Amino acid sequence: MYDFDVIVIGAGPGGYPAAIRAAQLGKKTAIIEKEAFGGTCLNWGCIPTKTLIASAERFHHASHSELFGVSVKGVSFDYAKMVARKCEVVTKLTTGIQFLLKSNGVEMVKGVARFEGPNRLSVVQPDGSTRWLSATSIIIAAGSDSAMPGFLPKAKNVVESRSFLDMTALPKSLFILGGGVIGCEFACMAAALGTKVTIVEMLEDIVMILDKDVRRVLCKRMESLGVTILTGAPLTAIESNKTGVTGLYKEQKLEAELLLVAVGRKPNTAALDLARAGVKVDERGMIPVNDQCRTNVSSIFAVGDLVTGSIQLAHAATQQGVVAAEAAAGHPSRQEKICPSCIFTTPEIGLVGLTETKATQLGLKVKTAAFPFAALGKAMAAGETDGFVKWVADPVTGQLLGAQAIGGHATDLISEAALAIRNELTIDEIGKTIHCHPTLAEAWMEAAHAFHGECIHLPKRS
Amino acid sequence: MAQAVIFPKLGQTMEEGAIVKWLKKVGDPVAKGDILFEIETDKANLEVESFFEGVLLKIYVKEGITVPCNTVVGYVGQAGEKVSDVAPKLESASAPAPAAPTSTPAAAPAKASAAPVAVAAPAPVRSAPVVATVAAPVATVERLVISPRAKALAKDACINPARIKGSGPNGRIVEKDVQSYLETSGYTALRVTPAAKRLASEKQVDLLTVRGSGDGGRIMVEDVERMLKQKPVAMSRMRQVIARRLVESKQNIPHFYVTVKADITDLMTYRAELKAKGINYSVNDFVLEAVILSLTEFPTVNSFTDGSSVTWRGDVDLGMAVSIDTGLVVPVIKAAQTLTMKELNAQTKALGEKARLGKLTPDEMIGSSFTVSNMGMMNVDQFTAIINPGEAGILAVSTGRQVPAVVKGEIKIRTIMAMTLSADHRIVDGSMGAQFANAIRSKLEDVELWKSLV
Repeated sequence: MYDFDVIVIGAGPGGYPAAIRAAQLGKKTAIIEKEAFGGTCLNWGCIPTKTLIASAERFHHASHSELFGVSVKGVSFDYAKMVARKCEVVTKLTTGIQFLLKSNGVEMVKGVARFEGPNRLSVVQPDGSTRWLSATSIIIAAGSDSAMPGFLPKAKNVVESRSFLDMTALPKSLFILGGGVIGCEFACMAAALGTKVTIVEMLEDIVMILDKDVRRVLCKRMESLGVTILTGAPLTAIESNKTGVTGLYKEQKLEAELLLVAVGRKPNTAALDLARAGVKVDERGMIPVNDQCRTNVSSIFAVGDLVTGSIQLAHAATQQGVVAAEAAAGHPSRQEKICPSCIFTTPEIGLVGLTETKATQLGLKVKTAAFPFAALGKAMAAGETDGFVKWVADPVTGQLLGAQAIGGHATDLISEAALAIRNELTIDEIGKTIHCHPTLAEAWMEAAHAFHGECIHLPKRS
Repeated sequence: MAQAVIFPKLGQTMEEGAIVKWLKKVGDPVAKGDILFEIETDKANLEVESFFEGVLLKIYVKEGITVPCNTVVGYVGQAGEKVSDVAPKLESASAPAPAAPTSTPAAAPAKASAAPVAVAAPAPVRSAPVVATVAAPVATVERLVISPRAKALAKDACINPARIKGSGPNGRIVEKDVQSYLETSGYTALRVTPAAKRLASEKQVDLLTVRGSGDGGRIMVEDVERMLKQKPVAMSRMRQVIARRLVESKQNIPHFYVTVKADITDLMTYRAELKAKGINYSVNDFVLEAVILSLTEFPTVNSFTDGSSVTWRGDVDLGMAVSIDTGLVVPVIKAAQTLTMKELNAQTKALGEKARLGKLTPDEMIGSSFTVSNMGMMNVDQFTAIINPGEAGILAVSTGRQVPAVVKGEIKIRTIMAMTLSADHRIVDGSMGAQFANAIRSKLEDVELWKSLV
């Protein structure tokens, strides 16, 4: 007999829902956390960044209200206070998670876990002692960390996102290495608070997961915020000195006070000693799983950032965590195939399903339809006219295959598209569904009308 | 003047074929030597190149349509030149073919006449017109008596009305019948996503035949797509010919099987020695040579019967089965008994390569007198093969494996390879089959023999 039915390694957005779900299903459950309950999402990712972004937006709105007939004089900000507020929010949420775990009867174990066999773990606890635990099923939810390539100087002014969030002052100028989702979110936040930001991206453009028309809107707006976007070449000869960081981009010498590295995330699998349990990993150290999140070892599951092919978003991990817990309890649950993504840039971006670019790569014939916020009453009223929504649909059946939204509240808007795509609705169902007026969500309906060239609120195309 | 593009006759036995793919569109510029189209015969796919320069003016024969050889399939000429909208009548077979297959060896006709026996052999591909088997499966065309309203309802519901019993005069299906069918058939309990229903309607899939895999058994798009994949699809001509010949063989030839296991340990050692000297022979080369030698010793196995007469063959025309992406081809090593090991190795390699590239000509694939099917690379213990019609036997060669074997009263690790002879029992008796198989075995086990041959 084992000590537990289910042990979860890692209490992030993949791990804690897995533990709670397992407990709900009557399983004797333990969760092991080496650092902070809530994982990257709550401590160094989603929540803290969104808290700081909210502060930055507040400042931006306050200082840009003339257009709305509001005059605010002497607007200023205290970044240290913003960070303090962030810490407060984080503490509240992480405390909440521990309360939830406790109320469900999940045993919380602090320490660093490693496998001793397919059903056995050793945990080195904070006091240095080792605790041995065993379970019928083990769910690996150990997450990922920012990748810090070896060529970068090890210095105080070369940081990754986590250390950046703990700084109590913003630099006057900032390099961001990597124009992916994380790099762009930080760029927008810092730029809104007056930092001179330069993004260097090796690929031809930033946020390559998006269609070009969406990226164009993002680039334009970021540049108007004062962000310099350099693409198509790497930042080389990076050196750190007392006053800042220097580097070369296509022979051009650049300098900034701080370098933020956002070149991707690496899975936290090395320390787990997975080989002792017989769990296979791919060449990047990620764990391949089946549609139940089961690894090649039938009693071991893996969820979240460290899974092969994962999209490394908190909500994806949560869904997988629940599926893994249910599968461990013998339920026939399966991973969801449709998972929306959200990007908290200025403006926000939501993305779900197939993009036009991806469809072309796959050789699929698709038809797209878009509607600009500039033609929408609510967007004009709210002064959020940048951007558009876009459907990607099957040209024959009209099945909705993908959607992208860029503009105000796009990350909220994308949920409607996710619901529609998951349930295999066609463009017609969206067009027929009455949407409240005046709201931003009307854009989905208008774009659906545009699909058939029947849009009321767009001029007739010749 | 516009020049006619003609569907080429690529082999003596070739009478017809189909264009699989046009590589030029009407209006495309064509240079001399450009590939115009790909054709499919019952033996192979081949590329056909243009003899002329200009513009492709006209295409008469679309892809996938079987036409006799020498049919005019299109015209190449100067841009703007007028050509007939209707394809001209068949040119006489002696007319020069202005289009040539890229892979036809110039020596092909000469070669055929040099081996008259092979040509005289009744090539099984000629035995039945292929057209007869090409017909795609057709749905039953029985006319359904149904009222327009009933038909519309059935269509709207995505169900096949043919399964409904009509209550009207002469069994006419009326709207009421469809309604009650929907209620009693379990249709009303079906849950279908909008996109899945649209797809089913588009592709005329009966929703009642679809198993739903979504939440609570809801029918999803992938479920309808699964049903669509189950619809019969016409096989390629090559597959159809393979199928027909296999059935023909299994039905008409009483197969008799005999298996022997050859100890190839010493041969493998010898092969490694040769390799060290830079002489490369595959295991297959040795097997083929052993078979050729044995066939000259047992001419009966190298002949064939139609049930009433026996035809002897003067040459060993050895077929070697080669697996390719689209099926199986059997290029023939003509007069194999005249070849040295080195020549045999070179021919085997060349034919194998051509087969994999799809460049074999029909003449290179007919007239074999015996066939070897080697699955040594496929990790199999033992298998039996089906005799090619027109032959008396086929040898199925399996993977050589290290196994414990008794050698002079002691257990040793030896490399053992199973070979199964399928023989036409009408002319090959059991004892002859056994002797023939053992002849091959003893040759493979006799290293001194190979030293004299290599």
